[in-house]
Amino acid sequence: MKRILPIMLGATLGLLAATSAFAIERGGAMTFARYDDSTVIDPVYADRNPDLWMVTGLYETLLRNGPDGSIVPGLAEAHEVSADGKTITLTLRGGLKFSDGSDLTGADVVFSLDRARNADLGPWAGLLGAVEKVAADGNRITVSLKNPDPTIISILATFNTGIMPKAAFEKAAGATDQEKARAFFSAGPVTSGPFVMKSHVQGSSMSFERNPNYWRQGEDGKPLPYLDRVEFLVIPDDATRILKLQAGEVDAAEFIPFARVGELGADPNLKMELFPSTRIVYAPINTREAKKDGSKNPLADVKVRQALNYATDKSVLIKLVTFDTGKPMTSLMSAATQLHYGPEPLYPYDPEKAKQLLSEAGLSGGFEVKLTTLAGSADDATLFTALQQMWAPLGVNLKVEQVDNPTRGEKNRSGDFDIHSYGWANDVNDPAQVTGWLGYYKQRQAVGTGWNNQEFNTLFEASNVETDPAKRKDEYKRMQEIYAAEAPLLFLFETPFAVAVSKSIEGYVQTPLGANDFSEAWRAD
Amino acid sequence: MPSLSYLVARLLQIIPTFLLVMIFIFLLVRLLPGDPAIAMAEAKATDAQLEQIRHNLGLDQPLPMQFLVFVKNTLTGDLGRSIMLKAPVTEVILSRLPTTIFLALYSVLLAILLAGPLAFLAASRVNSPVDVAIRGVFQVGLSMPVFYIGLLLLTVLAAQLRWFPVGGYGKSFLANLYHLILPALSVALYTSAIILRNLRASLIEVLDADYVQFARAKGLSPRIIMTRHVLRNALVSTVTLLGLSIGNLMSGTLVTETVFAIPGVGRLMLEAIFARDYPLIQGLTLTFAVLVSVVFLLTDVVQSWLDPRLRQS
Repeated sequence: MKRILPIMLGATLGLLAATSAFAIERGGAMTFARYDDSTVIDPVYADRNPDLWMVTGLYETLLRNGPDGSIVPGLAEAHEVSADGKTITLTLRGGLKFSDGSDLTGADVVFSLDRARNADLGPWAGLLGAVEKVAADGNRITVSLKNPDPTIISILATFNTGIMPKAAFEKAAGATDQEKARAFFSAGPVTSGPFVMKSHVQGSSMSFERNPNYWRQGEDGKPLPYLDRVEFLVIPDDATRILKLQAGEVDAAEFIPFARVGELGADPNLKMELFPSTRIVYAPINTREAKKDGSKNPLADVKVRQALNYATDKSVLIKLVTFDTGKPMTSLMSAATQLHYGPEPLYPYDPEKAKQLLSEAGLSGGFEVKLTTLAGSADDATLFTALQQMWAPLGVNLKVEQVDNPTRGEKNRSGDFDIHSYGWANDVNDPAQVTGWLGYYKQRQAVGTGWNNQEFNTLFEASNVETDPAKRKDEYKRMQEIYAAEAPLLFLFETPFAVAVSKSIEGYVQTPLGANDFSEAWRAD
Repeated sequence: MPSLSYLVARLLQIIPTFLLVMIFIFLLVRLLPGDPAIAMAEAKATDAQLEQIRHNLGLDQPLPMQFLVFVKNTLTGDLGRSIMLKAPVTEVILSRLPTTIFLALYSVLLAILLAGPLAFLAASRVNSPVDVAIRGVFQVGLSMPVFYIGLLLLTVLAAQLRWFPVGGYGKSFLANLYHLILPALSVALYTSAIILRNLRASLIEVLDADYVQFARAKGLSPRIIMTRHVLRNALVSTVTLLGLSIGNLMSGTLVTETVFAIPGVGRLMLEAIFARDYPLIQGLTLTFAVLVSVVFLLTDVVQSWLDPRLRQS
């Protein structure tokens, strides 16, 4: 009997799981409170997170990012990369339709990809820089490359390659592509994704309705999405957004400040979701020999940068800033990124080692460092006070400078800083974007730090044309090791996306790349 | 009523004000560190991409050139395109402005309704417990920041008691009266506190004036004394104050509209500044300048109607 019990239990649980899978209810609406509004949700022009995190709700890509981070089929049911890595052949599914009932054909794919790689249009064209030509023959799509590009498969699953209807877009009013895009969007665009946009009041609200022609099937064997409607309300103030959720006027609220996560998690009507993300919080360190004002920069010495990293107690920061929702960084990229390599947290807290490194660098007498933070950010204020206390015993006198976001960007670009706070989330399901941003000198002087490492740069260039996945993996491992040892950053922590959702809503997901996915959400009441 | 020439003279005075505002705001937004390209690309763009964005926006032109284009366009009624919203500035502002004007008028109305009768009550019973209580309550209103009053009202009246919606905006006039009552009230509490103090003080002063004593001695009815002698004289300074506070109110909308999630021009201004959206900031500043000038003009008109002495100067 004792042995049978677990089996029976298992069977019952399995049955329960199976019934719950079929207990999905269709129909109804959910209301979602956002921190900021979208402007023009267009795969090519989306340049702010509130836009680009909504694109895949309206426009489906040829390939998709699967729940586990792997690439799965999308509008294309199969894809193949040629042996030389320079040709990608994709097969479109049969019977695909846009929301208005018109056929989705190879011509729409060619139109969308040509638009996506046109550098005169949007900011993301560079992601398709290797593409020479896109051609369609019936259901066969051929993407020819100038050189092998291992990121291209991921790009075909990225929002900027969402498929738009050629005929409907070209019919939209306007002389230029940008004017057309705006007219097309404001009229309630024809879409290929799970939803269509029904209405949009700039700065206030937006309404998505289910696209009856969407191709993916739900668990009940009928087409997705389950919900009839998703209503969005724009509520920029954190406190008001949460009050609106607590009052039951909305079903979900995004960007919950970490300080409120515990409280909302204890609310019996709510689920506090902490979605795994590719978001990292870090602080670029100016590694140039001289500061902007010409004085000598102590942070140019790798030992000093390592010392500051050792002197930073990450677990305390994670507690104070993220209220224990974050985790320490193990590499330059988040652990959820493909090809991540980082067996353990970087620079575990070790004040003795920090002291020793500083004395080796000839700075045991101490020195002064300025931390540039975002004005009005509670997180940054906490970060500064904590660092100031952690570093004081080493003789490091930490000063603060508070600026707004564009000012911080300007300081980063002109190298006018010692250390400043920064954050990042991947837009592409591939490590090249974050690695190029943080470490490749020729792109952005390694996130403005001025760090210029020949071996790293060569590896990065090689990895971008590497067709052998195993070799590319090795190159990424080596780059992450070099970067960790050189410490052009203060490695701080990874944070999840915190969304509070009513208990009556199931299946809403914010993906590791930030995208809001309502395609499998449903209402349980 | 004030003469036509008086109105024309007042209108002419507005022109140099606008010119100064235009020059000032043009230079001021460009003095801020960071530019629209940096704010727009959220730091992800390469330096070459930034240059391309700057070129597309005309930001690589010399400043005097940019200013000439700005003045020329503004005079022809073209405020340019918003960088952040990718739409014509005029269109964006016109779609958001009614909300803000509605909120401003609503809160002024509430403030007058609150402060007026209470000021009379307090002034008619100087230093009585009623007077002290009224002044005390409004002193609190005066001391608390508007956003804090707003959050308090939201937490208690909306989230807990569920009498009103938590922020947002309605679709019809009546729905707006209901949706906007909390933001209007939180602004009104502050404004009414100022009006109340001022109106109470002037009422006390006027009630004590010789001509009012004389009117009483003549045996005029209290109603006539109030309307013709007391109110008209006591209101002069209060109207000035009300006009000034509407100017303040415009800047207050930046905070109120953010806290209450109202899609008006105040919140738009805040977003435009963070995005370094030069055309939109310029357009909004001009709009605010027009609104405030109109309010001040109206204040002057009302004053000169109340006080004939002002018409001569």
